[in-house]
Amino acid sequence: NPLPGVTVAVKNSGRGTATDPAGNFSLTAKKGETLVFSFVGYTQQEVVLGDAASISVVLSEKVGSLDEVVVTGYATQRKKDLTGAVSVVNVEQISRQPTAQVSNQLQGQVSGITVLGSGQPGEEPQVRIRGVNTFGNNTPLYVIDGVPTQNIVDLNPYDVASMQVLKDAGSASIYGARAANGVIIITTKRGKPDGKVRVTYDGYYGTQRPKGGNVWHILSPQEMANLKWMALKNTDPNVVYNDGLYGSGATPRLPDYIAPGGLMEGDPAVDPSKYNVNPFYKNPSDLDNFYRINKANKGGTDWFHEIFKPAMITSHNVSVSGGGDQGAYYLSFYYFNQKGTLLDTYLKRYSIRSNSFFNVGKHVRIGENLEFSVIDNPRITALTEGSGIGMAFREQPIIPVRDIKGNFAGSFSTNGAQLGNARNPVAIQERTKDNRGLGNRLLGNVYGEVDFLQHFTFRTSFGGEVYSASNHSFTYPEYENAENNKVNSYTESATSGYNWTWSNTLTYSQSFNKIHNVKVLVGTEAFDNHGRMVTGTTQNYFIFDPNFTNLGTGTGTVTNNSNAFTDGLFSIFGRLDYSLFDKYLLGAVIRRDGSSRFGANNRYGTFPAISAGWRVSQEEFLKHVSWISDLKIRGGWGIMGNQLNVDPSNAFTQYGLNKGSSFYDIGGTSNTLASGFFRTTIGNPDAKWESNINTNVGFDATLFKGKLEISADYYKKRVKDLLFTPEVSGTAGRSNPPAVNIAEMQNHGIDLSLGINDIHITKELVLKANATLTTYKNKIINISGDAPYFDLEARRFNGNFIIRNAIDHPISSFYGYKTVGFWNTAEEIAAANDQAQKATNNPNAVYQTGIKLGRFRYQDTNGDGIITDADRTFLGNPSPDFSYGLNLQLDYKNFDFTVFLYGVQGNNIWNQVRWWTDFYPSFAGAKSKTALYDSWRPDHQNAKAPIQENEGSFSTNTVPNSFLVENGSYLRAKNMMLGYTLPKAVLQRIGIEKFRIYVQAANLFTITKYSGIDPEITGGTTNFGLDEGAYPNQRQFLVGVNVGF
Amino acid sequence: KSFLERDPRGSLTGENVSTKDGIDALLIGAYAALDGQQQDVAAIGTGGPWEAAPSNWIYGSVAGGDAHKGSDATDQPPISLIATGQFDASNGFFNTKWKVLFEGVTRTNIILSLLPNVKDMSAAQVTQVQAEARFLRGHYYFELKKMFGKVPWVDEMHITDYKQPNNTDIWPKIEEDFKFAYESLPPTQSQAGRANKWAAAAYLAKTYVYQKKWTDAKPLFDLITTQGVTAKGDKYALTPRFEDNFDAATKNNSESVFAIQMSANNGTGQISNGNQGEMLNFPYNSPFGCCGFYQPTQDLVNSFRTDANGLPFLEDYNDHAVKSDMKVLSTAPFTPDAGNLDPRLDWTVGRRGIPYLDWGNHPGRSWVRDQDYAGPYAPKKNVYWQYNQDKYKDPNSWAPGSAINLVLIRYSDVLLMAAETEAELTNLDAAQAYVNMVRTRAANPQTRVYKYIDDTKPMGGFSNTPAANYVIASYPAGAFTGMGKDGALKAIRFERKLELAMEGQRFFDIVRWGTAPAELTRFFAYESKITTDLNGGKFVVGRNEHYPIPQRQIDLSFKNGAKTLEQNEGY
Repeated sequence: NPLPGVTVAVKNSGRGTATDPAGNFSLTAKKGETLVFSFVGYTQQEVVLGDAASISVVLSEKVGSLDEVVVTGYATQRKKDLTGAVSVVNVEQISRQPTAQVSNQLQGQVSGITVLGSGQPGEEPQVRIRGVNTFGNNTPLYVIDGVPTQNIVDLNPYDVASMQVLKDAGSASIYGARAANGVIIITTKRGKPDGKVRVTYDGYYGTQRPKGGNVWHILSPQEMANLKWMALKNTDPNVVYNDGLYGSGATPRLPDYIAPGGLMEGDPAVDPSKYNVNPFYKNPSDLDNFYRINKANKGGTDWFHEIFKPAMITSHNVSVSGGGDQGAYYLSFYYFNQKGTLLDTYLKRYSIRSNSFFNVGKHVRIGENLEFSVIDNPRITALTEGSGIGMAFREQPIIPVRDIKGNFAGSFSTNGAQLGNARNPVAIQERTKDNRGLGNRLLGNVYGEVDFLQHFTFRTSFGGEVYSASNHSFTYPEYENAENNKVNSYTESATSGYNWTWSNTLTYSQSFNKIHNVKVLVGTEAFDNHGRMVTGTTQNYFIFDPNFTNLGTGTGTVTNNSNAFTDGLFSIFGRLDYSLFDKYLLGAVIRRDGSSRFGANNRYGTFPAISAGWRVSQEEFLKHVSWISDLKIRGGWGIMGNQLNVDPSNAFTQYGLNKGSSFYDIGGTSNTLASGFFRTTIGNPDAKWESNINTNVGFDATLFKGKLEISADYYKKRVKDLLFTPEVSGTAGRSNPPAVNIAEMQNHGIDLSLGINDIHITKELVLKANATLTTYKNKIINISGDAPYFDLEARRFNGNFIIRNAIDHPISSFYGYKTVGFWNTAEEIAAANDQAQKATNNPNAVYQTGIKLGRFRYQDTNGDGIITDADRTFLGNPSPDFSYGLNLQLDYKNFDFTVFLYGVQGNNIWNQVRWWTDFYPSFAGAKSKTALYDSWRPDHQNAKAPIQENEGSFSTNTVPNSFLVENGSYLRAKNMMLGYTLPKAVLQRIGIEKFRIYVQAANLFTITKYSGIDPEITGGTTNFGLDEGAYPNQRQFLVGVNVGF
Repeated sequence: KSFLERDPRGSLTGENVSTKDGIDALLIGAYAALDGQQQDVAAIGTGGPWEAAPSNWIYGSVAGGDAHKGSDATDQPPISLIATGQFDASNGFFNTKWKVLFEGVTRTNIILSLLPNVKDMSAAQVTQVQAEARFLRGHYYFELKKMFGKVPWVDEMHITDYKQPNNTDIWPKIEEDFKFAYESLPPTQSQAGRANKWAAAAYLAKTYVYQKKWTDAKPLFDLITTQGVTAKGDKYALTPRFEDNFDAATKNNSESVFAIQMSANNGTGQISNGNQGEMLNFPYNSPFGCCGFYQPTQDLVNSFRTDANGLPFLEDYNDHAVKSDMKVLSTAPFTPDAGNLDPRLDWTVGRRGIPYLDWGNHPGRSWVRDQDYAGPYAPKKNVYWQYNQDKYKDPNSWAPGSAINLVLIRYSDVLLMAAETEAELTNLDAAQAYVNMVRTRAANPQTRVYKYIDDTKPMGGFSNTPAANYVIASYPAGAFTGMGKDGALKAIRFERKLELAMEGQRFFDIVRWGTAPAELTRFFAYESKITTDLNGGKFVVGRNEHYPIPQRQIDLSFKNGAKTLEQNEGY
């Protein structure tokens, strides 16, 4: 068949053309020059011109992706030669996700990577390669064009040309010291040296819609009143109602006014002339004289939708590229603007990139890659009760957003009207509107390469980053809440820093008789890192105008602070790749790293790895099996290192000073402090490298002429000598203890990916699909010599922790009492107490503290007949059994349709939101439908929530228990997209190469049993999956175009 | 230095601080741990400020029946368990308190261990620093001992070997520290906040009293009451006004034997040096902002009832209950109790209709977060005045800080311990004389609360009309002898309850007297009929005398595979 549109270029000349519909082409070229034929889906072919006036070329179709060249550590390899576990990211596929963050785009697209994000624009998601590898920093190492960095938040996703994930020691150990969390190698785009100038434009615009409805199932004001009456009666059957808000009748009545509390229209106390509020008061004691008048919002304020509104999103990227035999260039400009659905949050990004390289003669190449980016991204800290989101499920619905004069209304109350202690969420968000921050970073490198003696290449690259960020914010005094901040203050902070990496490598590569292929690389690398931070706060401003406020214009207390850090690494490394008959593959890596973070005793670490592959399909017995195009079995073992989790000053015992904890008014002056010192840290000169011992086996199969590709890996990691800062006995004092190499954990799991390429369902309907599956099982093997566990996240359980990291259990496991129903009858209680009295030989023993009708019955885990703290048990954990992604693409003529589904299965979420809303006594905030309609009553024993009372209890809400643990599995339609590409014939007339238009819906639906707002809950390394008001992912509807000239 | 050798930034080495100036600063740091607090609203290390409050308002007063936890039902639930005696070793409050006190111990130990390396200090200077450090260490261990009973002794020899067993009684070690301080410290100091000889004497005497070593205590009390002076050199004496002990403007007065110095608006932009441990203990929905904790009990209020002779009802005070505004809305009328009352009540408890310092008459229910839950009253001894709030209140947090000192040993405490010692030694007239000194001050007209000149202008001054019917008198001559030793002790103990109410002492007192089971059983029966917060309240004999060693600390005490700490009896 003749192939139209094949690119034909004269190598290193900039001359070129394309074949016509009949497959013909004509071109002027000299004898000895090389013609390069390339076409999508076919293997590129080169022909050296001889004497013939015409030549005919047969292009062969590519079989899968076997010949794809993959960038690995300091080198490139053909995919079929890989012996390590390397996932190659389909860059085109991930770029469909409408976000500015590359790491967000990875979710579900690559096996072996777990990404946890939120709906907040610009929030960096948690990226974990093959589970949790350490108690500290789990961020993978990103290597962008050869420059290692810890973050890619500001990388323009349109600049990414290729991305590889190195998951096992065989592939990643070459990055020794920093490989343990996995390595993601990113190569950015370069110009093509084919003489053409290409211009592309990609843009979209869309709207983001917050979830509708009553997202937290909050009661109406009348229902809130009914619940209160019920709870008071449950607490005291002889209750005499006399309430500051709801009156004293048998049925509660809603007042017309909530401030002054509980009054009706016409009362002289609500005469608007009495109103006195100055929202910009300066003297804290002015607050005492305010007279607030707030009408009750009897219909109920929907606080969620008061702070979450539809918002726009837009993205524009322009690139220009080109090149010839002297070199090539690539230039891009990116603008991204996403308003948050939460008021006054947004992300604005700008970046420019310039990549170029120059051929100096035939054997020398010099180039640079450089990105400068600017980020403006005010954010909130979600997942805590104090955030605007946290307050939105706590602020009572009877409170209006604003008072009678348009100032904020809130939980401030008088006359014993109990409006709780939440803060007005709209006010919280609006008061941040003038807070600004700006971050920028220059990231890139310059490099040179020399080929010599035929088989040798020397490369040197010097690169790094220079960054700075500044923030300023103003804290307004509050007046509307029960608990107000009364001090106005202005805070400004700035960070700046730089680091550089200088790497030098020498590669030798030779093929002997096409039987032995040898590639050897040796290199050195130095890394130097410096940074500073400064912050200051001044109080008491004459006016709050953002044009006036700065650190110098306040009149009150001034505080300031700064710090600095530095660390460095020096490394030597080598690798050997050997293949025999293109069939037996061997890779070996060794790296020796020195780090300034360790004391002289253990400064250096050595990290070896070996891996091997066997291309079974090349053996005679399989060569004839026509449906197996390629089959390779791989295996590897190695050690990867980590040094991130140790402070650069870990080796030193240090003394310092702190105004809060070591200064003292020894003179009794009442308002000055004498400065004092204390021991701040205990040093550990013996700390050494974490080592991640990694075993991997897997296979890669290309079947049915590349129509089906399967890659599967099983891995096991034992992470030893984990650098962990264990809590030490209180008798050592509170100085920060040093990190010690004591903890240990283990991960194992399966990565599976499956690709279906170009299945023609009909002649014109083409299906492509790929699926990924990621599993990891984490287990803590050891924590410290001092104790077998450490606890985190007390939240409102003061001193009783929700999360326990314990030996033999996965990281971030939920811990507490397991509920096994309710106490339904007095007989049950009597029987249990009787049992406890026998078990303890104590006639006054009680089976369970706070035992009472309608409260939770806890499981007697240790079977000793009485509930004590020893009956707490593990209640689940937030790590999924597996997560999966499914991409489907259907092409029909000029239409393309893609769907991306992502799912997580078998994880638990601790829904702390329900602690606030499902228990009446958990502060006087908004409560849920469950509390009123599905709580235990004598006539409703098959209830969800316990009896509603006016007292907290060990048997209901004052200790962590399994009531709050939910199944967090979900399946989400992350993306659906329908595109139409204008026919080439039409485009050629107007000189456009490509024009595609599309409509898209992201996060269209989510199937889950989780009762909270969004089951994707992030958190820290050892404490995640705890929902206390998440910034939810939102639906996005977009239209966009891709244009190429 | 090589590329990979980099010194830490922003810190000092042991060598840097082993100088006279460095040691002086470390000593200030050891004093600074007295309040147990750090920046960003936390106890030193972590944990809520209140968990480590040096006032012991939770462990001494709430647990002893002086006060309800307060606020509403699930605000700080571990306190409810402490209040009702249902605490166990997993309660995180104990862990915070333990860790903070051992940080105090550690700061003193570090000073003592560095001193031998210091070259630029004279022998006298070394001794002075040692004495102050050992005084502070004595205090930290005294707190540990009375809270936890079985406490490991970790001193300057154990800085790295800090996993010591808790199987030996540490009272003798505490005595040694206070004795050294007593014998080495000067009677006066250049700075009011430093411990002096007499503070050490008083603390040593208190150590004897806790051990019932009456014959050791008596001579010391005789010396303190005749020769004792404050660090500033003022002869120990009760201030004419009871309230002066609870006012920042009159701090470090003649009654202040040893106090934790608090300061406000000190340039930190935080309240960590301003009695942060009691930040919760102000009326709610009031000018104070937060948080409605530490509400005095009806039982305590009733204790201030006096009979026609101005003497307390030692046994049946709850039969003479003081009228409260329970269940009465602030908008409804209310007239305060008209019966005889000890005037100290209205400096100890905020109650409806009585001037709350110069903040106006306490409005009752509208200043209370949940009256049904924790009663109608408000704390007062820790509350600052309105007229000088710009100086002594610290607004730099969501709840107020203040510059009111926390007086660890007040001279009236010394007098009542002296009275107790004399009574135990059957010197009843001497005992009565001490008690009457305390009651005489209480009877001083300056100790009464007076009505405002104008209720609508509370800062406009007080009238000459007492706010309530105050009737108080000293015990008539020979009264204690008439009561006998047991009766006298009862009167002395009741006087401690009144005089030191809401000062973190009560629980530890009733435990050392052995009266805790009876007192608390009676208290729970009475008070739980009034409020809903004391359900399940009990005192378990053989267990509740000490708080449990924090479970976390036992779990952290592994050494060679075995625990070095053992739990107290009953847990």
